[in-house]
Amino acid sequence: MYVENGCYGGKILFIDLEKEEGKRQAIGDSFALKYLGGDGFGAYFMNKYMDPSVDAFSPDNIIVIAPGLLTGTIFPTAGKVAFFSKSPLTGRWAEAFSGGSLGFTLKQAGYDAVIIKGKAKKLSYLVIKDDEIVIKDASHLAGLTTRETAEIIKKDESGKFKEFSVASIGPAGEKLVKFASIDSDERQFGRAGIGAVMGSKNLKAIAVYGSKDIKVAKPDKMYELFQQYYTTMINHPSFQDDGKYGTGEFLEWMNSQRGTFPTRNWREGVFDNRKQIDPYYWAPRYVIKNKACVQCPKPCGKAFVLKGKYDAMLDGVEYETLFALGSNCGVGDIEAVAKANELCDLYGMDTISTGGVIGFVMDLYENGLLSKEDIGVDAKFGNGDAMLELIEKIARREGIGDAMAEGVAAMAAKLGGDATKYAVHVGKMEPPAYDVRGIKGMALAFMTSPRGACHLRSGAYALELTGKFWKYEGVDRLSSKNKGQEIADMENFMAVYDALGVCKFSRGIFLLNFYDALDAAIGRGFSEEELLKIGERIHNLKHIFNIKAGWKREDTKLPEKFRVPIPEGPSKGSYVSKEEEKEMLEDYFKARGWDKKGVPKKEKLEELEIEEFME
Amino acid sequence: MYVKAIPENCSGCMVCELVCTMKHFGVINRYKSGIRIERKSVTEDIPHVCSQGNECNYECIAACKYDAIEKREDGVVRVIEEKCVGCRLCELACPLNAIHIHEKMAYKCDLCGGEPECVKYCSQNALQLVEG
Repeated sequence: MYVENGCYGGKILFIDLEKEEGKRQAIGDSFALKYLGGDGFGAYFMNKYMDPSVDAFSPDNIIVIAPGLLTGTIFPTAGKVAFFSKSPLTGRWAEAFSGGSLGFTLKQAGYDAVIIKGKAKKLSYLVIKDDEIVIKDASHLAGLTTRETAEIIKKDESGKFKEFSVASIGPAGEKLVKFASIDSDERQFGRAGIGAVMGSKNLKAIAVYGSKDIKVAKPDKMYELFQQYYTTMINHPSFQDDGKYGTGEFLEWMNSQRGTFPTRNWREGVFDNRKQIDPYYWAPRYVIKNKACVQCPKPCGKAFVLKGKYDAMLDGVEYETLFALGSNCGVGDIEAVAKANELCDLYGMDTISTGGVIGFVMDLYENGLLSKEDIGVDAKFGNGDAMLELIEKIARREGIGDAMAEGVAAMAAKLGGDATKYAVHVGKMEPPAYDVRGIKGMALAFMTSPRGACHLRSGAYALELTGKFWKYEGVDRLSSKNKGQEIADMENFMAVYDALGVCKFSRGIFLLNFYDALDAAIGRGFSEEELLKIGERIHNLKHIFNIKAGWKREDTKLPEKFRVPIPEGPSKGSYVSKEEEKEMLEDYFKARGWDKKGVPKKEKLEELEIEEFME
Repeated sequence: MYVKAIPENCSGCMVCELVCTMKHFGVINRYKSGIRIERKSVTEDIPHVCSQGNECNYECIAACKYDAIEKREDGVVRVIEEKCVGCRLCELACPLNAIHIHEKMAYKCDLCGGEPECVKYCSQNALQLVEG
């Protein structure tokens, strides 16, 4: 009754690219209530329908696409949809979220998840048009950018009165750049290289059209909740901040008040040349209007238009990218940063990993471990044109770009010797814009995130940096004490957001008060305690996937750079020692009910009702 | 009166479509909405909505062979559901791309009785109710 009367599409779609066929399967109430949707469905299907030990580029690796439970309703900011797969970059669990119209459209087509396996014989794109499934030739799209691909497919498929949602890869995905992203509506499923998995399957794009009704169990109640939250949101201070400056609004604060804005491949925590990359500088000069995800009345996206030395048009520049293609490469010229952002989006590459690997190469160059001949450009920190040239090389796997396209960890291993000292990654993932030497809970979160160094699985940066959030207060970011339970709690909290499809930038407004929203959506409310249990179940399932993929406790460690004290600024002198690393991780395993090697105990799996996945 | 769109302000969030179909039908369905956002490119999000004759020449009424569209005294151009057969002539004729056929029925803006929900819940001031 919950699936039937609620906002579920009601069906899972299985696509076999090799056999060129699609099959549908209905979902039941007990499954839906146990996993909710989005992240929960992803965690279940990834364990259920693939062997985690297969190579990421094997046809037996699968891609799962799942909109959140509340995606496709009127619930504000709940427009998220996720891709799941095994990562070619990390060899582990991969997930990437975005908020274009794709999830919404999948719901209207009647699907709560799409599971793709196999490999197409030639470059193809998948068309899902309500109940009709077609795999079409994409040879005319070979080598095209994400934007060109989407435009052509929309033109061919949409017509004047139907609008397809398209998710596409660019040349980087086709070339199997290990951190290739997927673009949809000019927003990116950025991290962990699922774009390269699409490339390995000869899948250039997915186009979806849906025209069915999305019901909710209690429409009047849902509408009232919408009205109430809409009013809260547009009167909230973040409505003004996000509206004007986007996600980088706190960039200056991160530098001058916290000193935790990673700079020049994590040498410094304060970027001296930050004036132009601060949104307070660039938003009034280059932004022509706001851009939103579906269902979101408080848009953080910005239509950035650049003419002059570089021409560019992009939705950005987002906070993480201001770090990755800005401070991490020492580039303070916002025009070069914006152009680099656009190139990454068009070629289909994660900006964080791209900036990570370019910063790494710049560091090696300045320390004499790579020469100008090796690199092909004068890769000094701050050289925006060198950064742009390196992006081109990575996307085409040309020259040094071929090694860079493997990511920091693999490139460092190939170079050997002292190069590893400069390699900043956790679990083979290039980290996002939080200098965790001064945010110690986040250092732990980088280690425990199922997809490697990640700010979003826990989202604990806000709690750590301000000292309070939700049930926590008085948290000391410079201490390594009592971080285990905090990070585990935050991961469970955030997994709920990912299961529901709600934007994490709304977490301060909703917390875990979704009882009424879920009652309105599917006819059954969930208490905070119930939701946290589901979040814990989801996190454990991802960890089980990683264990089956070969994860070991010894693999979980911080890079050498995190042991070097931050040289200047408000976090001067802070670093994470080996002892602190060990202490935090052990504390975390204990809080999770895992053994000393980080394997979930039998009692824990039984408590979470997922013992079937760990045999 | 009619809903006037200011595309330069539109963020493409589609909240207008959601409130429209929730208010009228209690479900979400883009293809039943009286207003539709074309999420065209980074710089273009275009709301398509009926001008109730103020920015067109009633092409839909002229095109309809079944007298299924009328202009009421209150100025609202309305679909008479019992007469509509879903033939698409109005959809093809409309210069504003503001009337659509879904499952053999035409859907368009009815101004919500004079207080359009979409205008109320557009956070970017991209929709205005104007006199016409």
